Amino acid sequence: MKEKITTTIFQARNSYSARVRSLGVFGILLAFVVICAALALTTPRFLTVGNLTIILTQVSINALLAFGVTFVIITGGIDLSLGSMVAVTGVAAALFAHPDTYPLVVPLGVALAAGLAMGGFNGLVITKSKVPPFIVTLGTMTIGRGLALILSKGRPVSNLSEAFNFIGGGQVLGIPFPIIILVVVFGLCSILLKKTIWGRYMYAVGGNEQAARASGISVVKVKMIVYTLCGVLAALAGVVLTSRITTGQPNAGQGFELDAIAAAIIGGTSTSGGSGTMTGTLIGALLIGVISNGLDLLNVTSYYQEVVMGIIIIGAVVLDGLNRKG
Amino acid sequence: MKQILLILTFFFILTGCNQSGDGAEGNKPLIGVSMLSMQNEFIVSVSDELEKKAEAVGAELIVVDAERSALKQIEQVESFIAQGVDAIIMNPCEVEASSPAVTKAMAAGIPIVNVNSATATQPTAFVGSDDVESGRIAMEYIAKRLGGKGNVIMIHGYMGQAAQIQREQGAREILKKYPDLKLLAHQTGEWDRAKSMSLMENWIQSYGNKIDAVFAQNDEMGMGAVKALGAAGMNDKVVVVSIDAIPDALQAVEQGTLDATVFQNAGQQGAQAIETALKIIDKQPYEKEVMIPFQLVTKENVAEFK
Repeated sequence: MKEKITTTIFQARNSYSARVRSLGVFGILLAFVVICAALALTTPRFLTVGNLTIILTQVSINALLAFGVTFVIITGGIDLSLGSMVAVTGVAAALFAHPDTYPLVVPLGVALAAGLAMGGFNGLVITKSKVPPFIVTLGTMTIGRGLALILSKGRPVSNLSEAFNFIGGGQVLGIPFPIIILVVVFGLCSILLKKTIWGRYMYAVGGNEQAARASGISVVKVKMIVYTLCGVLAALAGVVLTSRITTGQPNAGQGFELDAIAAAIIGGTSTSGGSGTMTGTLIGALLIGVISNGLDLLNVTSYYQEVVMGIIIIGAVVLDGLNRKG
Repeated sequence: MKQILLILTFFFILTGCNQSGDGAEGNKPLIGVSMLSMQNEFIVSVSDELEKKAEAVGAELIVVDAERSALKQIEQVESFIAQGVDAIIMNPCEVEASSPAVTKAMAAGIPIVNVNSATATQPTAFVGSDDVESGRIAMEYIAKRLGGKGNVIMIHGYMGQAAQIQREQGAREILKKYPDLKLLAHQTGEWDRAKSMSLMENWIQSYGNKIDAVFAQNDEMGMGAVKALGAAGMNDKVVVVSIDAIPDALQAVEQGTLDATVFQNAGQQGAQAIETALKIIDKQPYEKEVMIPFQLVTKENVAEFK
């Protein structure tokens, strides 16, 4: 049995390193550099420390969500409830974050617990019912939106404490706090995916679920982990967003899941599962952020921005397909 | 079979959740209300006022949420007609697409009052405010503060929605009056605070000190702009005006980070809609168009609105 596991892991690892060697991450990195260079040439404001800091801050929320959904997509799943989880956890945190009520750990704990519960619920239903993740998370997306509205009674929850607002708006040594969170979470996710046995299990489950099961990997456990993790990261994103705009908004986060999935896919995560990297996803998220920022700087109407973004998503997948064949 | 049972159980649980009870008790007038979206704070306020007023005057309401779908709204009005309500109050989702609901109610002989926004088809009566006016008030305030000269940024709502179109129209009318007032940039913030904050951060990068004033078409976006300007240490330099007077915005006006907001009177809109509907039901004379005026809220008068 043990041998079998090692073989599967070996195969998964092999396909993983193959992806790194292929144009995957390099292709997207190249595209990223070219777009940055083009923006730097057309608008002098682009390549300034101030602007780059802003881009990283703006990207942080989407990147947190994209890291979570990358795990899920690698196992061959999908999570459409991200945006709703952001709203629920954000509102939940805000309800406990009024000044002079609870210490900071309470809103944070509540939000993370809510994310854990919702992500866990996704995982539980997906693994127990065999209903496709697409359908399950479509359901929880609606449930989550409803919960956020119920919790907040349909109104923004404002008047939050200084300490809470520091998470999204504060700075440490001149670096906005969301960027620090982004870097730390990126590091942890990369280690989990690349260096731990559970990361390899994820590739194995997404690459060939039956083979993974046959070789003794607990597919249920792996899936529970990725969906729960996705919920927790969504909660973190919810807290950062709520703190950044200093209100818990029940209708916040609409469509966030699509941006997160786009970041993962642009970054080379295969929608059929079994491959993808955190670095790719980070670059994917940065690319989306840079384009949105750059087009704003150039004062391009948001109508065109959406067209450009769509073209890039399709382009990334086409490129990925070509790599796979070649 | 199992599924059918499950669905039925679920259905009964849900109908059990309906607290209002069935049918009109005694001779209370029954009014069907279809609201644009109960996910919007302002609309929720109007709806709360409708219920409050109805309770005060002894009318019974059935309030439903059209969730921004004109199609759903038409179906809701159709079911009101089938239930034989005495009057319908509709907060239209769209100018054109919600019009068939008006036509159907009128054809069935049931009076219909539009509240807050208009439809292309004339209803029995309209209660609301003229959004063009709010855009004028906001931009006029900016013109006054800047002495008619400077660079302005405009943050739009969802492009193409009635409120966005009308608020922009009002603002542009004033811009035309002051040729030295330049529109530096304009872009949609989709009524959203986070989105508008990012937009403003990017604009601060590209225009920096050139920005003299910001007009955001609602308070949520105004608050987003204020946050971004605050982070750049530009709150004192840039005049920010938005519309709606939500609690957050009033607080910001009090603190001086938001220079002004324009108060749209949800309470009056709700109360007057019920009053008008009751007048029509009782066959008393009523006004076909009840216009609730907007009011500019600045630091000087903010206390009256809190």
